[in-house]
Amino acid sequence: MSRKAKGKRPTYFENPECDKLLAITMALAGEVAVVRERLDTIERLLEGKGTLTTAEIERYRPDEKIAAERERWRAEYLERLLRIIHHELESVEKGEAPDSYQRAIEEVSS
Amino acid sequence: MAEQNQHGMLPRASHDELARQNFVQSFKIHLATRVSPGNERIYEQRAKARFKRKHRRAPRDRHEVRGLMTAEPYYRMWSALQRTSQEMMWDSVATSVERQLDALVARGRGAGGAGGTLTLDPELALPAYHAAVDIHCQPGGYHTELTADDVAAGAIYDRAVYIYAMGRMGPFNDDLGRSVANWLRHEHPEFKPEKILDLGCSVGHSTIPYVEAYPEAEVHGIDVAAPMLRYAHARAEALGKRIHLSQQNAERTNFADRSFDLIVSHILLHETSAQAIGRVIAECRRLLRPGGMMIHAEVPQFEGLPPYAAFMLDWDTYNNNEPFWGHYHDLDLAQLATEARFKPKGVKQIMVPSAFEQARARTGLLQGGDFGGAGAWFLFIAHR
Repeated sequence: MSRKAKGKRPTYFENPECDKLLAITMALAGEVAVVRERLDTIERLLEGKGTLTTAEIERYRPDEKIAAERERWRAEYLERLLRIIHHELESVEKGEAPDSYQRAIEEVSS
Repeated sequence: MAEQNQHGMLPRASHDELARQNFVQSFKIHLATRVSPGNERIYEQRAKARFKRKHRRAPRDRHEVRGLMTAEPYYRMWSALQRTSQEMMWDSVATSVERQLDALVARGRGAGGAGGTLTLDPELALPAYHAAVDIHCQPGGYHTELTADDVAAGAIYDRAVYIYAMGRMGPFNDDLGRSVANWLRHEHPEFKPEKILDLGCSVGHSTIPYVEAYPEAEVHGIDVAAPMLRYAHARAEALGKRIHLSQQNAERTNFADRSFDLIVSHILLHETSAQAIGRVIAECRRLLRPGGMMIHAEVPQFEGLPPYAAFMLDWDTYNNNEPFWGHYHDLDLAQLATEARFKPKGVKQIMVPSAFEQARARTGLLQGGDFGGAGAWFLFIAHR
């Protein structure tokens, strides 16, 4: 089944990559909503069965060990998420010239 | 928001598919209520002021407004989000339908019980205005078939109309037909049509209210797209409503002269073409018996609208694969009717209240070139 409607898609921004990024972002937002709704279903089912209550979830405070594990996870997560932000700075610090990659191609090809 | 009626043919959404569709619906409501209204402020405070400084006058028509607004970052962002919401809507429904297509096709094959009929014509040519682009961005349009006895396009359409309309068409998506039927029974209580025809009926959601309003009548529906008609047949049978469906082009049908007392269409005319629309009206004239009536339900023409309002209503022409929308809304419908030999005094263009919005509080949710939401429908009527 085709997922693309026949008819050229308009572009809305100066840079067509922005159109794509926006669509990707909204698709991701949609998937977050799907996960959130599924989790909500689980909580409500568990509450219905008397396994736990949403109040217990709200009251829950991780102990020191678990809090540290969560903090580590969040740091790694942000590192992965925002990796691209660090590229530019690291490139500058390593002294990569704008044409350095082109020179590498020429170097290995000659 | 009320849930869509889970009739026998409506695709079943899994937990996550439903969550995905819920998100799209909320996304559309957010855009309609929180983002789209800001466009007018941008227009009034920035774009129009800029235009006035340069030209010493206000923009005259929607085209001048569009020239201004397409340069505005706020409008661009809203447009891009609106287009994206439309694509996500189709995607969220198509994924669900594709997963269960075999079951839907089987249910379609087993349809029956209400006494309706289905007559397909594989030789019928697809009109150019359907082939050119996939109307309102439904991938594959109304007509594409993926498998034998395919109902996918109909199943996708039935569910997506509900999400697109944000539930405002009612649990059966039947607000258009119901609004026209209510108006007819109220304004013309003496009118008792024996034979009724719905043009471009798609999944028959607007056709069924006429079966309910006129239980003695023989009700027909035609469409050019086979997967819509197969689904419409199975849907009507599942709901216990007798409709006779056939694959035909409203520009030229195979019904005899003077076959019908009432001919209706629902948001059909704007999906045809400048060439076709005259032929559709002439065909209505040919098919109507003396004393009969044609009623085309649409959203109002642009005439008399302020340039900004017309510009916003024209969004779909450029952004939602509705190429004829703008041209259609500039047409002189009364002239079209008289060219088709309807008498001028029998031609009317009126607004009627939405049956669904009458029954509930008005939502007033408007998106771009919307259908519905303003609490009223536009009717183009001609008496034979």
